[in-house]
Amino acid sequence: MRAPAMPARARRLPVCALAAGLLLGALVAGPALAAASDETPPVAVPRAVQDLPWGDSLFWFFQDRPFDALSSLMVNQHFGRMAHHADEAEVLRGGLLLTYGMHEEAGRVFEQLIARQAARPVRDRAWYYLARIRYQRDRADEAWQALQHIEAALAGPLEEDRQLLAAQVQMARGDFAGAAQTLDALTQAQAQAGPFWRRSAVSRFARYNLGVALVRSGQTARGGPLLEALATEPAADEEARALRDQANVALGFSALQQGRPAEARRVLERVRLNGPQSNKALLGFGWAAASLKKPDQALVPWAELAGRPGTDAAALEARIALPYAYNELGAGRRALALYESAIAEFDAESRRLDESIAAVGRGRLIQGLVERNPSADMGWFQSLATLPEVPHAAHLVPVLAGHEFQEGFKNYRDLLFLERHLAQWQEQLGVYGAMVDTRRQAFAQRLPAVREAEQAQGRGLAQLSARRDALAQSLSQSATQADGRAFADEREAGLLQRIARVQAVLERLSAVDTPKAAPGADTAPTAPAPDLDLAATRERLRLAAGALAWDLAQALPARRWEATKGLQAAEAGLAEARALDADLARAQREEPARFDAFAARLSALEQRLRALQPRVAALKTRLQQSLQAQAVAALQAQKDRLAGYSAQARFAVAQLHDHAQPPKDAPHAAPNP
Amino acid sequence: MFLSLRAPLLPCLALLAALALGPLAARAADAVAPAAAPAPAAGGAASAPALPAAAASAPAAPATPVALDSQAQALKADVIALNRDLLVLEEELLFPASTQVAVFLSMDVGLMFDLDSVQLKVDDKLVSNYLYTPTEVAALHRGGVQRLYLGNLRAGAHEVVATFTGKGPHERDYRRGATVRFDKGTEPQYLELKISDVQAKLQPEFVVKVWK
Repeated sequence: MRAPAMPARARRLPVCALAAGLLLGALVAGPALAAASDETPPVAVPRAVQDLPWGDSLFWFFQDRPFDALSSLMVNQHFGRMAHHADEAEVLRGGLLLTYGMHEEAGRVFEQLIARQAARPVRDRAWYYLARIRYQRDRADEAWQALQHIEAALAGPLEEDRQLLAAQVQMARGDFAGAAQTLDALTQAQAQAGPFWRRSAVSRFARYNLGVALVRSGQTARGGPLLEALATEPAADEEARALRDQANVALGFSALQQGRPAEARRVLERVRLNGPQSNKALLGFGWAAASLKKPDQALVPWAELAGRPGTDAAALEARIALPYAYNELGAGRRALALYESAIAEFDAESRRLDESIAAVGRGRLIQGLVERNPSADMGWFQSLATLPEVPHAAHLVPVLAGHEFQEGFKNYRDLLFLERHLAQWQEQLGVYGAMVDTRRQAFAQRLPAVREAEQAQGRGLAQLSARRDALAQSLSQSATQADGRAFADEREAGLLQRIARVQAVLERLSAVDTPKAAPGADTAPTAPAPDLDLAATRERLRLAAGALAWDLAQALPARRWEATKGLQAAEAGLAEARALDADLARAQREEPARFDAFAARLSALEQRLRALQPRVAALKTRLQQSLQAQAVAALQAQKDRLAGYSAQARFAVAQLHDHAQPPKDAPHAAPNP
Repeated sequence: MFLSLRAPLLPCLALLAALALGPLAARAADAVAPAAAPAPAAGGAASAPALPAAAASAPAAPATPVALDSQAQALKADVIALNRDLLVLEEELLFPASTQVAVFLSMDVGLMFDLDSVQLKVDDKLVSNYLYTPTEVAALHRGGVQRLYLGNLRAGAHEVVATFTGKGPHERDYRRGATVRFDKGTEPQYLELKISDVQAKLQPEFVVKVWK
């Protein structure tokens, strides 16, 4: 009996379930439920992002760019920008770390979440992921303990995953009855959930797991019908059909093992002729016929199987099973020919395996896989469907399907990504180092130069303050004296000067009793004009001076207000300048230290980077060697199996030859010395 | 064979994308994902029929890959921590908190508007002209928030003008603008360009929000 399968969703890395948790759980505040129907389970879409940087991390996460999401998350966590989503951010970080196979670090993240008494739903999810991690590390008892800490049903599909995981853990601990009970409860819950769940993959896998668990716990009467129902129900998609085939193969081989070959044939006959299970089913179908002492009925399935590519072990086995059936039917010649053909094919296949082993040893497997899995990000590789271009690549299919190999290759690919990433940072660090040096140099040279220039041009802060004080004093005096002349504009100031000069001239003329002077003359006359009427001129001057004084007096209040306002603005400007000056003075003291700190940090980070680069390169090499060794070992195992088949075939050939030869009298048969 | 969590895992990121459509779609994605390669059957021709459990079992885990995995985990943790420290330094060096301004873009539902591009001007200076991919739009629909622009501005009054281009209701070309004035202080300043649906008007709405 085959052990239970897991539904495809549950087989994913925990981060996938995490995504479901993010989308469907209570992680995100204010979920909006989309329309639900029998065919569509309720889907909640996160809406309320209370910290924009958290939304930025989700933006990358939703684009399937986990490294960018993780980078954004960790930087924003560093700056404390996600206070409203602190726990969710940690759950996401743990999940992303799991994406990168960092179970140990992820485990620490979830343990810390639990230790710091996060909200119950978050703690429950953390326990769930811890259970998964422990189960993946073959720590079933500890995984079971973690599952026991979950207090309430998890959100959305995570709850089904939890129950499936619980069943897996129970089975890993040998508690098949308990697993059956867990899966029974899940199946019943799904049955009540409506037609969607009854047709879902989770339901099928749960029922399959339940059936297998029951049979393995000795409750064949309960488990058998479950598997039988699964093995005969309609399947709408490839996944369902594959599981149905798997159930039939499980039932068939179970029947064979229990000595019920007729039952085995009935069941195995239901397996599709072309599918993942078809080779095993054909082999078992033939063996069931052989067990029924009907080798003729084994011929058709084994002949079909023997014609299939020899990269599959069942097909190879059929190459010697078929002549065995012929021999059983008494067709010795035909059996002999087929055995000899099989031996030749095994030898050829063995040589092809040697070529594959040599190619793997030259690094072509890893190189080919990397070429087929280019990616701008870390994480799982996706192109197992296409094989690398190495000789007889089909031999590598079982190798590539191996868990250890896939994990190792994922690590190798992650390290390749990180190696490129570190190289980019190294280049960038050089730029930043130059930037800091340039800034430091500019700061050291330009600031003193600017200050000196300010002082030289009278634009220093002290000089400006003195000028402002003088202006304030003038304003105060003019206010006291109500003297409009202090606020005269340029034109008025010119007029005032002219009036003063004319007045002075007139006074001099009066003193020398010169009767006349040219009116409006700007310069002092050396002799009065004969027709100048001094009295009239004085009067005109008095009138002009009076008009000007009147204008100035009228404009005085407005001008004084303007001047006061301007002075206040100058004071504000000066205050700002003082603040800036203080900033500059502080910067002058502190910036060099800041530049030094940046330079020191850059240097320290560069040292860390340089220390990591050889570690990455060395581990990458070791991983490549390990992967190659795994591949070679697997190919060698195939070769050994081939050698075993070949030996059996040769033995059968020898037996056939022995039977074909008439018995000879021993003394006659003995060679002459 | 026990198809456990340790069995070959399918591409996780494909599932993450599928989850956007809900569990049903996720299973559809599962169905089309590459299946695990067929495992070899075990047992010789002369032996009794063996169970497929043995036939499909993975090769035994050697000690070395486990040790290497542990080393790889530790190394990846170191590199990721270094990456964070480098990014922190980069931000502090290029965008000090006292002058930092970040403009984010979000969508609330966004069914009335199919976003094509956003042009962003700060103080009448073009700082971003971003063309969106369908993947990015989908991420916005799912609740992601894009950091459209990160830059530096001195303290004082500033103006941001965002112009949104895309398809509006009835597949008509749509171009709308939104403006906001704000005072930049000495703390980092966040602005959010928000595209939302106004159901009453059956029109999209574009708002710029200044985060305090």
